[in-house]
Amino acid sequence: MGKAAGDRHRSGENKGRLYGWWRGSCSAQAGVVVGMLLVVGCGTETPAVFQAPVESEQAPVRTGVVLPPVEVQEGDGLPGILPDDLVWLTNEDDPVYASPQAKRGGTLRTTIISFPLTLRRVGPDSNGSFAGYIRPNQFGPVALHPQTRRAIPALATHWAFGADGRSIYYKLNPEARWSDGVPVTADDFVYAVQFMRSKEIVAPWYNNFYTERIRDVKRYDDLTYGIQGASPMPGTEMHATYAFGPQPRHFHVLTDDWVAEFNWKIEPNTGPYEITQVRKGKYIVMERKDDWWGDDLKYFKHRFNPDRIHTKVIRDNNVAFQHFLKGELDTFGLTLPVYWHDKATGVAFDKGYIAKYWFYSEIPAASGMYLNSEDPLLADERIRFGLAHSMNFDRVIETVLRGDYERLPTFQIGFGEYDNHDIKARAFDLEKADAHFNAAGFDVRGGDGIRVREDGQRLSFKVTYGWPDHTERLVVLQEEAKKAGVELKLDLLDSAGSFKKMREKKHQIAWSGWAAGGLSPGYWEHFHSVNAGKPQTNNLTNHANPEMDPLIMAYRVSPSLEERVALARRLEQMVHDSGVVIPTFRVPYTRAGAWRWVKLPEWLGTRTAASLFSPFADTGGFSGGGLFWIDVDEKRRIREAKDDGRVFEPVTIVNTDYRREQAS
Amino acid sequence: MNAVLARLKEKLALDPLTVKQFKRFRSIKRGYYSAVVLGVMIALSFGAELLVNSRALVVSYQGELFFPTYGDIIPGRTFGLDYDYETDYRELDRLLEERGGAEGWVLMPPVPYDALENDLRAGVYPPYPPSVESGHYLGTDSTGRDVLARLIYGFRIAFAFSFLLLLCNYLIGIAVGCAMGFWGGLFDLIFQRVIEIWNMVPTLYVIMIVASIVVPTFWTLAAVMVLFGWTAMTWNMRTSTYKEKSREYVLAARALGASNPRMIGSHVIPNTISVIVTFIPFSIAGGITLLTALDYLGFGLPPPTPSWGELLSQGTSNLGSPWIVYSVVTAIGLVLVMVNYIGEAIREAFDPKKFTYYE
Repeated sequence: MGKAAGDRHRSGENKGRLYGWWRGSCSAQAGVVVGMLLVVGCGTETPAVFQAPVESEQAPVRTGVVLPPVEVQEGDGLPGILPDDLVWLTNEDDPVYASPQAKRGGTLRTTIISFPLTLRRVGPDSNGSFAGYIRPNQFGPVALHPQTRRAIPALATHWAFGADGRSIYYKLNPEARWSDGVPVTADDFVYAVQFMRSKEIVAPWYNNFYTERIRDVKRYDDLTYGIQGASPMPGTEMHATYAFGPQPRHFHVLTDDWVAEFNWKIEPNTGPYEITQVRKGKYIVMERKDDWWGDDLKYFKHRFNPDRIHTKVIRDNNVAFQHFLKGELDTFGLTLPVYWHDKATGVAFDKGYIAKYWFYSEIPAASGMYLNSEDPLLADERIRFGLAHSMNFDRVIETVLRGDYERLPTFQIGFGEYDNHDIKARAFDLEKADAHFNAAGFDVRGGDGIRVREDGQRLSFKVTYGWPDHTERLVVLQEEAKKAGVELKLDLLDSAGSFKKMREKKHQIAWSGWAAGGLSPGYWEHFHSVNAGKPQTNNLTNHANPEMDPLIMAYRVSPSLEERVALARRLEQMVHDSGVVIPTFRVPYTRAGAWRWVKLPEWLGTRTAASLFSPFADTGGFSGGGLFWIDVDEKRRIREAKDDGRVFEPVTIVNTDYRREQAS
Repeated sequence: MNAVLARLKEKLALDPLTVKQFKRFRSIKRGYYSAVVLGVMIALSFGAELLVNSRALVVSYQGELFFPTYGDIIPGRTFGLDYDYETDYRELDRLLEERGGAEGWVLMPPVPYDALENDLRAGVYPPYPPSVESGHYLGTDSTGRDVLARLIYGFRIAFAFSFLLLLCNYLIGIAVGCAMGFWGGLFDLIFQRVIEIWNMVPTLYVIMIVASIVVPTFWTLAAVMVLFGWTAMTWNMRTSTYKEKSREYVLAARALGASNPRMIGSHVIPNTISVIVTFIPFSIAGGITLLTALDYLGFGLPPPTPSWGELLSQGTSNLGSPWIVYSVVTAIGLVLVMVNYIGEAIREAFDPKKFTYYE
């Protein structure tokens, strides 16, 4: 878990667009943060075409800073020689989820709202939404199966867990290659830690993560290495948290100027696509590698089918949608109700040229109103409960959200067995609200209908938020809350500003969310008392509960899955009981439109799919992307049919295989 | 007694020149009628609560009369409903009518919605198209708020804002400009440079920065704009004052021993009034446009304040519901055209080529 999120409603491929720009603690490998692009301006755009690969071959040989060997703290450290009692595991037994009917070829035309400020993976400005194109093409040693949530081989073929409960050993696939043909070796992983710890990359979060969370890395031979994390965890969890990807040792030259010098260099990668053309400010082209090392692996076969991915900068979503309607983009995210219901209608849909897909999946969700319990009013739990009963979310869902979204029952959900399904969100109930408020001394209404306490204190709260789109939801809540005698004042700032205010804990009520990811929910950053009452932590509620702290710590270090699940459910219940979070909405599906020539498997997507048309491996932290393909012959036929005015059966597919019925 | 009356009459009588100017203004028809229409609109907008409101004008309930328009809310319980929050008067109207009107009646304003309330109904989704039957004469926006109500209340706010801006800008602008023109010399030189530098500060960016740190309120927004807006008037005042200062009547006043404030206040400013008056309508239009633009960009008044800019941005992102964008564009267009007609007419009327003190 980590990262602030507004909503996961933007188009699939660029879904991270709204998300925050810092990372809490989250898996190093699943580096899916995407960021704040609202500010991106691309001031100096000199049109220039780069052809790759160039830089790495032609650059004069230079030596950068000599990186210190990986330092190991006392009490940490991997054994000097590979333990011989290791049990090497792999996973070739889980079901395949790509379609054998998939055809290679064609170009996928996608869009991005602003041109990236850098092509680096780390360092300043690297958390833009284009990171969602670069990072998924840098594989880790293992990936996560999108159906079973278990580890599957990626760069490594086998892995083994150390006896200390916090170390993993990997055996690399001898076939694995960087895009420039150099083999991936254990040294690249050792280098990754040195690289990520170095100050030259100007990335404090990574510096910290690779020092605090990754305690040791050791090469045993060219293809075998081990890593040690900070605390014990269940096996798969450890993969998700500690299994970082390699860095191309032969490519980087770390100097004080690295950030500027490597800003536009195309880094060799290990995934199926590489950048081949960059036209600054205009577009980026990625091409499929012809002889990619992963092509024959069980879980990668028949995936990543388009030959080219042409990503064009279109600075406005509405304009991008017009491009899509004209057939200049192949797919478009339709998660927002207004797109699905209103905009995605008309001739191209009625005549069956564009198909609409609505796919329910188990996407982790955590968005809510975070009540600052250090506020004099909100410190009183009766007021928090009353407030929760004054929020008419159902009305927002029924009206402005068209009945599409669902009420989030609790702080966070979508982690499989970790979820506590016994919890139900406090519903809009004026009588209960009345009882709570009366008990807290707010039993009289002022002339404007807002409750007043004896000392003249009004029951009025500021809601801080950073997404202008959300105003329409908040005004409904605001009007409904008046019925309970509560005044909500809308404090709309720009997204960076709102976020800053929340992180500095200057808010009363924070309307926000977290880009939940990974395999299990996080509690330490959000509810542990060490994070309460001080700025720059993710404990936006400033909640400090001495009973919760030991449970949170036990949850963090427990290597047993059952125990962790039990603790997570208990912690979730405690969060609910405290009333510091009023859960808002979840979007338990992904929706998209696609021209008829873009084909999907019969089953459309996977259990954990965050997007159906992501061309890359990673969707929502699981390796479930790249399942669709572009049928080039069909494309020609449909274009002809369109010119001749021939009509197909309209396609709207709603898939509820992975929908969990709402407890009512 | 008669003498007193005569003096009073003399005092109240308009300067013949002013009368002439006013006559001339009246004779320019489109400017004059624009002024009348706009004047009526402004007057009406200040009584908007009586015309566009979700609160009833009069409720008669069990023989008692209620006037809910102004003042505290009247909870539903007062009228035998089962809630403590503000009465839904449209609902009450329907209920009382159903019961045959024996208990009482409700008189609603012509537009029975206010600018903040969301009229949401199950099964249909806003924006609703215009309809006489539902009372949404110009339809609703995307959260079910009445477009006409938001237009009218938005107009009131924009106008008040613009007027306040004008007042402050002119006060500072005229004072500084006059001083520069009157004293001249080093004072003028220094202030010219100060203003030139001050003018270089990009106002829009300052407002954006302010808006990203604090939610701008009516007053902070006005303050920031005055901070950078007063300079425009100084140049005109400076030149006019320079011109007037060297006229004989000012010299005469000086020779008679008039003080500086008297010379500026009683002689210079009245003779530059045509410059000031001519600028007023355009400044008002400018203020309205500026606020609309800021609201459109999202840096203006905080939601859910009714505003034209916010309606415009909703309209452009909901082109499928054209009534939003049509309403607001027509309204902006009309007001700006009228203000410009008025401006034109005033300029004509005050044209010094036709009327001057010294011939």
